[in-house]
Amino acid sequence: MSLLSLRQLGKSFQTGAHEVRALQDVTLDVADGECLAIVGESGSGKSTLANLVLGLFPPTTGAVEFDGAELPVVRTLAHRRSIQLVQQNPASALNPRRSVGASLQLALDVHGIGTSDTRPARVAELLRDVGLPEDLARRSPTSLSGGQRQRVAIARALACESRLVVLDEPTSALDVLVQAQVLRLLADLRARHNLTYLFITHDLAVVRNIATRVAVFSQGRMVELAETETIFTAPQDPYTRRLISAVPVITEEEKTMRNGLSQS
Amino acid sequence: MTLVLNIRDLQLAFKSWSGTSEVLHGISLTIGKGERVALVGESGSGKSVTARIVLGLLQELRGVQISGSVEFQGQDLGAMPDRERRALRGTAMSMIFQDPTSSLNPVFKIAPQFQEVLARVTPGISMSATRVRATDLLREVAIAEPERVLDSYPFQLSGGMNQRVMIAMALANRPALLLADEPGTALDVTVQAQTLDLMRALVTDHGTSVLFISHNLGVVREFADRTYVIYRGNIVEEGPTRDVFENPGHPYTRALMAAQPKITGGGLPDLVEGDRHYLEPRFVHEGVA
Repeated sequence: MSLLSLRQLGKSFQTGAHEVRALQDVTLDVADGECLAIVGESGSGKSTLANLVLGLFPPTTGAVEFDGAELPVVRTLAHRRSIQLVQQNPASALNPRRSVGASLQLALDVHGIGTSDTRPARVAELLRDVGLPEDLARRSPTSLSGGQRQRVAIARALACESRLVVLDEPTSALDVLVQAQVLRLLADLRARHNLTYLFITHDLAVVRNIATRVAVFSQGRMVELAETETIFTAPQDPYTRRLISAVPVITEEEKTMRNGLSQS
Repeated sequence: MTLVLNIRDLQLAFKSWSGTSEVLHGISLTIGKGERVALVGESGSGKSVTARIVLGLLQELRGVQISGSVEFQGQDLGAMPDRERRALRGTAMSMIFQDPTSSLNPVFKIAPQFQEVLARVTPGISMSATRVRATDLLREVAIAEPERVLDSYPFQLSGGMNQRVMIAMALANRPALLLADEPGTALDVTVQAQTLDLMRALVTDHGTSVLFISHNLGVVREFADRTYVIYRGNIVEEGPTRDVFENPGHPYTRALMAAQPKITGGGLPDLVEGDRHYLEPRFVHEGVA
């Protein structure tokens, strides 16, 4: 059963005299509990897709359905609670003038989750859930490392107990060792809380190891959709092949695989 | 073999009101003629400041303590007067930065920016001579319509196009050493792959040596002949790129390789246990430890 459905979704922007069709006619079902990767280069429409799912602007055509019901153009608080976002840059995602605990508690306050007595305990629980010590709640996000900040941003998305999390390049700004830890955390959380991820990224190596299915976007259109294994072993669209062949790799095994794709 | 760059026991510390912070703890690195050498490390490891010292940008700041030696084509940069060191910049050595769009001046078209670069070697070069030379240089970086590009502002060009303009400018005066700080990181993968191929072909043709600074292991693997791995201001491993990647000797290098997700799959990278081994030497002789 699908948790999120996109029905002929499209978005155009008017810039001066001409119209930019950022996203065209995307129909896609996201199953409950899956991690669907949205892959593409700049201008492919992947961020537009995320913003439409989050309801940050209205679609030009089509609709977004969540849990069997069509989402309105103007989302209510309950709608906003049900779909959460983790952004690329954790440094700008958190308010530097608010402590980590206050940022997390704000999410609980806004959505009226718990009572003022239970919220501090819930904040501590959220921090533990993402592998951070409880006493981090008193610290300012500016005193944290990039990896710790991203964990806080993830904890904030969890605070609303939503079932769908939109992850917009969640590890692109992190170093490779920190990225490995955050990816492992995201996979653990998905399993523990039965979350559904819309994982937006340009990093195909990450996709291979975390996604259940992959949707490849190019110039506003979805050009290929398949199980992760299939996308990497038998890509059909020429653009998908080109994308995989361009990934810089480190092992001979990867090179062999990539060369096989670019030749066939 | 003639060394284009020879860094010996380079130490760097920044002094501030709160005390001294040591950034480089005595690193040594050499680059031969025509060699492509990578310095790979994570944020804060000291890789970019190393490039800035080679360019002579840090020596002129206050509160910077540098010891050790940096020799460029046999000349000690530390012993050189500021004026002579500045004369090397943009002529004998040049640099490509991470974000091409912000490295070019947004209020000038490409042509006058080329004129400024060429005038470093040919003072008072005319605009018509600039255009002739720049057209050739832009053709070298596979730009099909050099005339149109010369009359464009940087924001009218794509990121990949700007990066190629930057490469053309950096190689305009045929430098002996090219410093490339995360080139292509800001670009899409397909554009990044084209840019690196192009850069590799050009430096090979001209016999330019390259110091390639990056945190992207894949890019380093494909571009560099030799690789230095830097961790917290120490070089922990050095060797031919193939050896470093296929047979990493140091715990930190091994952790980096393991943490890099692979397109062949194999699940999420192993969790890294902690960094207490990362500063250990690669070889410890018996009876010492």
